[in-house]
Amino acid sequence: MTRLLPLLLLLTACSDPGAGPSDDAVTYVHAMDGAPASLDPAQASSVYASFLVVNLYDTLYRYKYLARPYELTPNLAAAMPEVSADGLTLTIRLKPGVRYIDDPAFAGGRGREVTAADVVYSLLRHFDPASRAQGAWLWQGRIEGIDEWKAAGADYDNPVAGLQALDTHTVQIRLTRPYPQFVHTLAQAYSAVVPREAVERYGRELGSRAVGSGPFMLRSFDSARAVMDRNPAFRREPFDLAREGYDAGSQSQYELETLEGRAPPFVDRLEVEFIAEDAARWNAFRGGQVDFIKVPAAQFDQVLAQREPPRATPELAAEYHLSAERESGFVYTNFDMSNPAIGHHPDPERAQRNRALRCAIVNGFDWEARNNRFYSGIGKVFPGVIPPTTPEYVEDAGSDYIQRDVEAARTLLSEHGWNADNLPVLEYGYPASVTEQQMFEQFRSFMADIGYPRERIRPLSFATFGDYFGAYSRGEVMLITSSWTMDYPDAENVMQLFYGPNAAPGSNSASYHNPQYDALYDRAAPMAPSPQRTASFQAMNRMIMDDCASITGLARTLVFMWNRDARMLPDRSFTGGFFLRFVDKAGRDG
Amino acid sequence: MNGARSLARATAHALALLLGVTLVSFLLMVHFGPDRTWGLLGKNPSQAQIDEVRADLGYDQPLPAQYVRFLGELVTLDFGLSDKTGESVRQLMARTLPVTLALVLPGFTLGNVLGVLLGMLAAWRRDSVLDRLILGGSVAGMSLSFLVIIIALQILLCTPWGLDLFPARGWRVDSLGSYLWYVTVPTLSLVAVTLGYNTRFFRAVAVGELGRDHIRTARAYGASTGAILFRHVLRNGAVAMLTRVLFSLPLVVVSGSLLLETYFGIPGIGRATFDAITSGDQPVLKAVVSLTAVMFVLVQLFADASYRWVDPRVGRR
Repeated sequence: MTRLLPLLLLLTACSDPGAGPSDDAVTYVHAMDGAPASLDPAQASSVYASFLVVNLYDTLYRYKYLARPYELTPNLAAAMPEVSADGLTLTIRLKPGVRYIDDPAFAGGRGREVTAADVVYSLLRHFDPASRAQGAWLWQGRIEGIDEWKAAGADYDNPVAGLQALDTHTVQIRLTRPYPQFVHTLAQAYSAVVPREAVERYGRELGSRAVGSGPFMLRSFDSARAVMDRNPAFRREPFDLAREGYDAGSQSQYELETLEGRAPPFVDRLEVEFIAEDAARWNAFRGGQVDFIKVPAAQFDQVLAQREPPRATPELAAEYHLSAERESGFVYTNFDMSNPAIGHHPDPERAQRNRALRCAIVNGFDWEARNNRFYSGIGKVFPGVIPPTTPEYVEDAGSDYIQRDVEAARTLLSEHGWNADNLPVLEYGYPASVTEQQMFEQFRSFMADIGYPRERIRPLSFATFGDYFGAYSRGEVMLITSSWTMDYPDAENVMQLFYGPNAAPGSNSASYHNPQYDALYDRAAPMAPSPQRTASFQAMNRMIMDDCASITGLARTLVFMWNRDARMLPDRSFTGGFFLRFVDKAGRDG
Repeated sequence: MNGARSLARATAHALALLLGVTLVSFLLMVHFGPDRTWGLLGKNPSQAQIDEVRADLGYDQPLPAQYVRFLGELVTLDFGLSDKTGESVRQLMARTLPVTLALVLPGFTLGNVLGVLLGMLAAWRRDSVLDRLILGGSVAGMSLSFLVIIIALQILLCTPWGLDLFPARGWRVDSLGSYLWYVTVPTLSLVAVTLGYNTRFFRAVAVGELGRDHIRTARAYGASTGAILFRHVLRNGAVAMLTRVLFSLPLVVVSGSLLLETYFGIPGIGRATFDAITSGDQPVLKAVVSLTAVMFVLVQLFADASYRWVDPRVGRR
């Protein structure tokens, strides 16, 4: 026995704190293809972090579980905001009696009620340099006095004119100008409500723990998984299919009717496995270790009986549900328009030649081959930057922009005096990975077809996305491969990608500058969705294509599979992590 | 007295080595490592926000000042909080190191013990069919990538396409049974990938020893196979074997477990180190590099002492 003692001690030291749910506990295991860096809402910049944060904390609003297009609904808020006639003042009332989980951060260790002051505090954290917050871009310059509050030293005891707790349960926000997307920002993980006591007690360690009022409580979190238990004190709100936007015609196969009237969360334990490696994720799924995965593209041949629309093989369909979701975003490659070798140029003649060069590259790009090779042929290629998931999308808005035309590209080059000797050296940037390298080689072969010498297209790879971001923000990359995941379901979020004042290091990584575009954006962005705004956005979309500022775009299609005993409709877009509270497992009935 | 003097000399060497390793690795981490600034910024950052993040990360401090601070952290063993998750580095190490040790020790031990046995058997039957089979198997094992072995064993042992006996993923260890349940396939993977290298190495050592005069004499006196192999060959080859085993230990513990931890979803130090390298999490990197350097130094001190134990001639030179 004494010889076994060291082993037993080691086992005790390395035992998993998430181990050992009780036998009758219903556990749902969700696999994600990446891991969050931090669980602090102020740093919830990735889809992975958001997935967890909205389950551990409350946001004022969320998206309806089943409604498509996406619709906002109150979460911690009692109702949708009361908005003043000029659209500048929003009054939001909180549900009374919502409590944080018990934690030593609170007096006596018992969670207290969530108040309006917590909402104010949580938004202000994004303007406090000490919090390393990443969400300030959503509100800076938009809320009255908030930038001044930061400039004055970010003292939480100083009031902010435009962000006030009127009483325990009422928040009032005054905007500097109309911002119709504002309520969407209150459904993002960045806006999740944290108690000041926890931030002050744990500081940056709040990134690896959670003290919230969400449907789940964190039990353990490491680089491999997060384990969460149902929050027994979570408010009891009966599930209402109609209110969540249920559509019997398209959603009846998911057996969601059984949820009606029950109060979420429906499972006792939620586990999220972080499995970046495709083979490991697939093996874990087939081995029954996880209930849900995003199917790796490498498995499509094995999984899909047909690709459009994606459908599982009969054998797999007997065991699993399968659904496909078009991403709310797109992949694209920007030209660095601040680079006079290829972008804007003070000399009108050279500017015209540069435009011809960019348009020739756009003409030479083969979207069909890109889609087939890297997106299994199930991505949606579309012209411009308004993706197919937005209401402003128009199917035939410039389809010539995505049609390959090698002859037209060669003609454009020769008509504008470009030849193999004077074409500029293109530096094509990407974060290092095998797939990105393959995409670069494919791009180079496309360009070889239009007469662009291979040696004049050079790869610039970077070890991390941060390094890549830094390099293209400093203007060191001429062709910037990117993807954009929309922050909220409103086309304004993609139109701002080419707005002049957002030039690098902002989200306008092309540093595109077009006064007409900017003027239209200034006029249209504060408008509520309307035919007039749609027309403006479509005109701006056309400008980007006329100027050939970007090789764009393709919206990827994500394929999900999950065990048939899990009742759910998964989503990776705006309902994102919110849907996990509505996941149920048939095992509970049995 | 002689022993005390050599211990003092070894300690002085160890300290110099430690300083050298920390200086070089510090320069690599700080000067050439990833810049975390851009990964910590939100969208549409202003120059002021970029400067704020750089200052918060300490990037605006001169390099010598940063190095001195690093040495201070090393002396106090307090590396602060992970830049990435905010978790205390000390807590992270305490959480992940035991997991990695429990994960790799069975495979490491089995791989070496089996390697010694197979190596000596092959050497004893040199040029026989058995020797060729063992050598052929070793070469085959050495030729397969670790990744391929892991995925193949996962499919074979952990999915419905194979025997479906063990979990493909996880580490929910709360008893000896659950430990064996989770550690078996990673252990088999580690043994499969290391056995070929180990067997070839130990065979080469044994072949060298078996050709020596004292072995021929022992054989002439009719010593048994077991006595020759375990008393004479193993003991005399122990310096080379110990060197290999001891010096591979720090690498196995810190970096060798990366693939296992990644593919089996095990929260150990290998995965934490990889994440720290790719994300430029300097506090964690500093701790891991320091830990590795200290382990190497300790291994060297231990190896020096053990050489004297297995071969008394070492101390007399």
